[in-house]
Amino acid sequence: MFTHSIRRRLVIGCVLALTLAACGRSADTPEAGGQATTTVSDGPATGDLTVWAMGTEGENLPKLMEQFQQANPGAKVTVTPIPWDAAHNKFTTAITAQSLPDAAMVGSTWMGEFADLGALDPTPQGFDNAAFFPGALDTTKVKGVQYGVPWYVETRLVYYRKDLATKAGITTPPTDWAGLKAMAKAMKDKAGAKCGINLQPGGTGSWQTVMPFAWSAGAEITADDQKTFTLDTPAMQEGLQYFQSFFTDKVACTDLPPNQTEAQFVNGTAPMFISGPWMAGSVAKAGGDAMKPNIGVFQLPKNKTATSFVGGSNFVVFKNSKNKDSAWKLVKWLSEEKTQAAWYKLSTDLPAVKSAWQDPSIASDPLLPVFGKQLEDAKAPPSIVNWEQVAVAFDTEIEKMVKAGQSPADTAKAIQTKASQIGTGGS
Amino acid sequence: MMRRTWWIYLIAVLGLVAVAAPFVWMLLGSFKTQGELLQVPPTWLPQNATTENYDALFSKANFPRYFLNSGVVALVVTAGNLTFCSMIGYALAKLNFKGRNGLFVLVMATLMIPGMVTFVPLFVLVTNAGLANSYPGLILPFLVSPFGVFLMRQFFLGLPDDLIDAGRVDGSSELGIFARIMLPLTRPALATLGILTFLGSWNNFLWPLVIAQTEDKYTLPVALALYSTGQNAQNFGLLMAGAVVVVVPVLVIFLAFQRHVTKGIAITGLK
Repeated sequence: MFTHSIRRRLVIGCVLALTLAACGRSADTPEAGGQATTTVSDGPATGDLTVWAMGTEGENLPKLMEQFQQANPGAKVTVTPIPWDAAHNKFTTAITAQSLPDAAMVGSTWMGEFADLGALDPTPQGFDNAAFFPGALDTTKVKGVQYGVPWYVETRLVYYRKDLATKAGITTPPTDWAGLKAMAKAMKDKAGAKCGINLQPGGTGSWQTVMPFAWSAGAEITADDQKTFTLDTPAMQEGLQYFQSFFTDKVACTDLPPNQTEAQFVNGTAPMFISGPWMAGSVAKAGGDAMKPNIGVFQLPKNKTATSFVGGSNFVVFKNSKNKDSAWKLVKWLSEEKTQAAWYKLSTDLPAVKSAWQDPSIASDPLLPVFGKQLEDAKAPPSIVNWEQVAVAFDTEIEKMVKAGQSPADTAKAIQTKASQIGTGGS
Repeated sequence: MMRRTWWIYLIAVLGLVAVAAPFVWMLLGSFKTQGELLQVPPTWLPQNATTENYDALFSKANFPRYFLNSGVVALVVTAGNLTFCSMIGYALAKLNFKGRNGLFVLVMATLMIPGMVTFVPLFVLVTNAGLANSYPGLILPFLVSPFGVFLMRQFFLGLPDDLIDAGRVDGSSELGIFARIMLPLTRPALATLGILTFLGSWNNFLWPLVIAQTEDKYTLPVALALYSTGQNAQNFGLLMAGAVVVVVPVLVIFLAFQRHVTKGIAITGLK
């Protein structure tokens, strides 16, 4: 244990010093464990619990915790809200110094790293895993062991201007790849848009738009063992090719000013884009009440599948918590259908539990049920330690492909080479 | 006369505009809605001036608390730096004792190690000392800065030894010489150190973020990041309003000290 914690500290030191590449990868055997056999005891939660949560979730969670404390009078929950920007730093530093809370909300892409540092407690028995969206549940699994549960989810859909689509002669949203391209083309040719669809020409996070196309063509980021990358495959190339064709066919532009998706949507410059549920709100904010009825969404078009990206956050319990049993009771309570619906009303975070989508507040929304359907077929990148680094390389190669005309085959090859050099990481 | 100098004024005005424009933009932006802030082309004057950003900011229940935390931490850290850095600087410059140069080299060495390298060990140290989530934890690591010691030492070096000798002849104690004769002469250096330290502490983000474990120990920059930056969207209006509120105390401090800073430059010129 001693050497293990030293190693852990070294790893984090390296991360913070931004010299990760200089840290050797030790060949330690993974921690013994496998699926947890512990169970959560019956009866109400007791004692003090500290919980970390990011941004607006951290702001709203105390209201939900009041309900938890009513049901569990012996428990007292203190919520610390943490800024999103710096949450990753705060977690890694706290893991090093072992000054962690009992439970926390954790971004789904950090699971691999935190689990590898040995900070997370494996999920005990007694959770109804079938209740969660499968794509979201996958983000809690690191090398076959489940840590925590999905808490809330988001997925990506195609947004479009209904009024301009009518003008372009499109009455029903497309369902296949050719249809989506034709629609974007019609938006440009008939509805006066400068760019038919607003696609990010590379840069931070563009893999989140590209991977859904690749997944839909049958590609996978890694083999099943989460140890070798499979980024240079015909399916991957097909996805890249499709993405690139939007730019080569001039229905998407490389010269749109970035980060103004809402404004460009509202003024008709780019009346389509692919993004998550939060955009419905910010488009309505940018365009006013008149814009609201003109916002339409549809599921990603189908190739072999119609897979989208699933993001969101998980709720975990930390290994060194002194009140683990009660912490897991809290997590269990958070993933109950009723709590999930109540949380949606407090935060507008979409429930990770499928049955909570029956709640009238969600089911009667004009746009949300489409997200629910898409979540049935949505994937996240595997929980590997080095994913964030691989993603950066991925984004760079996409930019080369879109802006400098690098061929999809070369792009896939370059991503695979870079990813293999970085490695999946972890012990 | 006017003919020859007009271009100097022109350059000065251009410089002023370049420096002041972002602040004016920030101030005006704090009265705009998110929609207007993101508008292309951008606007200078708010079309529909609104105070909703400030309302949102001050409705966050703990705002006075964050202000208090930031203020307490920044003032104590500044006071500590002024006191200890001047003492150490004086000793290193004017007192003769064994190992003085070695000590000075050691201070300089710590100045050369980037803060990020010592960040995690420092955090582990402070946590193990039981100071996580406390004011001492926020303040102690910054109470003396090697840069401050260096600055004060260099300034003391420039003061004549004769003053100290005269003090000794007149029968003043060593502490009296330091406090009553030498320290008042370093006022310009103290003013510079004071402003820099206050600014650094007031704007410090990462340390308060990791050391504060509950919201009631958050400082302004941490709280501002918390409320304005979401996972997928930024509330720019709130950010602008918060930045305006954060900048005001810094401006006040600077206005209070700047007279001494310019005086310092004038004195060095006379030497």
